[in-house]
Amino acid sequence: MNTLSSVLAAPPLGEAGGRPQTLPRSGQTLLRWLAGSGAFAALRRYFAQRRYIGAILPLAILGLWQASSSFGWIEPVFLPAPKKVVEAFWYMLTKQDLLKDVWASVFIIAQAFIYGTLLGVGLGFAAGLSKPVELFFSGTINTLRHIPSVAWIPLIVVWLGLGAPAKIVVLAKSIFIPMFLNTLQAIRGVDQNFIELAQALKLSRRQLIRRVVFPAIVPVVMVTLRYSVGLAWALVVIAEGISGLEGLGFLIFRAQNLLMTDQLLVCMVLIGLVGFGLDRLLFLMQRRLLRWQRSFGGGYA
Amino acid sequence: MLEVRGVTRRFDNLVALHDASLSVGEGEFVAIVGASGCGKTTLLRLIAGLDSDYEGEIALDGQRIVGTSLERGIVFQEPRLLPWLTLWDNVAIALENAPLSAAAKKEAIAAQIALVGLSGFERAYPSALSGGMAQRAAIARALVGHPSILLLDEPLGALDAITRMRLQEELLRIWRHEGVSMILVTHDVEEAVFLSQKIVVMDTHPGHVTATVPVDLPTPRDRASPAFSALKGRVFEALHDNAAVKPPEVEYLI
Repeated sequence: MNTLSSVLAAPPLGEAGGRPQTLPRSGQTLLRWLAGSGAFAALRRYFAQRRYIGAILPLAILGLWQASSSFGWIEPVFLPAPKKVVEAFWYMLTKQDLLKDVWASVFIIAQAFIYGTLLGVGLGFAAGLSKPVELFFSGTINTLRHIPSVAWIPLIVVWLGLGAPAKIVVLAKSIFIPMFLNTLQAIRGVDQNFIELAQALKLSRRQLIRRVVFPAIVPVVMVTLRYSVGLAWALVVIAEGISGLEGLGFLIFRAQNLLMTDQLLVCMVLIGLVGFGLDRLLFLMQRRLLRWQRSFGGGYA
Repeated sequence: MLEVRGVTRRFDNLVALHDASLSVGEGEFVAIVGASGCGKTTLLRLIAGLDSDYEGEIALDGQRIVGTSLERGIVFQEPRLLPWLTLWDNVAIALENAPLSAAAKKEAIAAQIALVGLSGFERAYPSALSGGMAQRAAIARALVGHPSILLLDEPLGALDAITRMRLQEELLRIWRHEGVSMILVTHDVEEAVFLSQKIVVMDTHPGHVTATVPVDLPTPRDRASPAFSALKGRVFEALHDNAAVKPPEVEYLI
């Protein structure tokens, strides 16, 4: 995707990063100019790394979708044509304030993310460093976690109403629990040899936590973050569908009730895109924090 | 300067180390050899202060050892570098609590990294270092605080033969350069003879010191020389029939 966008973003004629300002006169100079612009290099990379493999399946699905509507294989009420979905998107964007609903959902997950993570990592850390704190919390949390988050929604909505706060609470709880448990486990799993090393180097308890324990648990915390935010995003949609007057979840269930399949598909795509974006953001954060790790890329020879 | 007298360490009913004694002089290089289970690592951990549940007396410069100290640097069997720190930071962490100015620390770290031959790799993460390089970094970390004694727990055991020989030479060079006392725990008799001035031989069931063999070979030592082989033979003898045979060159402690 990166490479494709850089192909598309190849500098326009005459601006090729310090290249001659004259327009190409023949096909050969055009080729030479293209080569110099980096567009060829980007294309070659795109094919050499076989990135296009990832585009095959979505393109095939899109083609099948278009074909099924063109040849009338499926009733439009079940599966509207791609063009209709794009039109519905444009209509929702311009006439129905779609962005406001997207923002409503993102706002909820962003807040839930912050509260759930801070509380989960914070308490998990405290429990990891102190046995009494662990004993105090872990029984309760291990019991509560067997009540699915969806089952909390009715009660919390009775308490806090249909607005954002109720959903933020439920989602924060759904992020908090895996964050807490995994942070605690990660601390328990810190290599004893490193603790011994810290002892030999005369690090204080504070230095041990900052220099050894904290970095050691970052991989687990980051994976849990990505995992639980993915789950929480799904939960936003459900929570908004069950109770609420705005947001992508509200829209998608409304579209279902009104049999507006085109709007329903727009919501599905948007939910997917936002979810992808959230995960991507966390992935970049993870890569930045874990640049010391050498990972297994899948190759094996 | 380091005195170990009659040290016994029990783990429940198991006696890991029985009545062990040895001494290390100022700037002396002492090797401890023995089969696995002879208590040599247990003894080193006691000297390091990582374990303090023992009977007997361990004293450095007349002071009984309590807990770990930067006075006693340690290199473990595996490099044990923190994977999230660069080589520089891995060495620097040993000076975290040193009473030095930032500039002095920087200078000490750079000098130590240069001494172990890793200049240019300061910004590399441990995952990018070879086994030999990582162990050099571990040596730099143990030495950067200028300890009076360096404890080496089979530091070269996991390396290939060529890298090991090269690092043995390096270790010797570092020892001469720093003038620091060293205790090397190893199961490689040749390594012990090549490096040390005194070899403490240990045996199992329970772990105890059987003999102390002085190494009076001139340096640099030639691994192929007859004197070298003869000394190796003497150590092997002490390893195998410990108290049974008593060659005149071997000085017994127990």
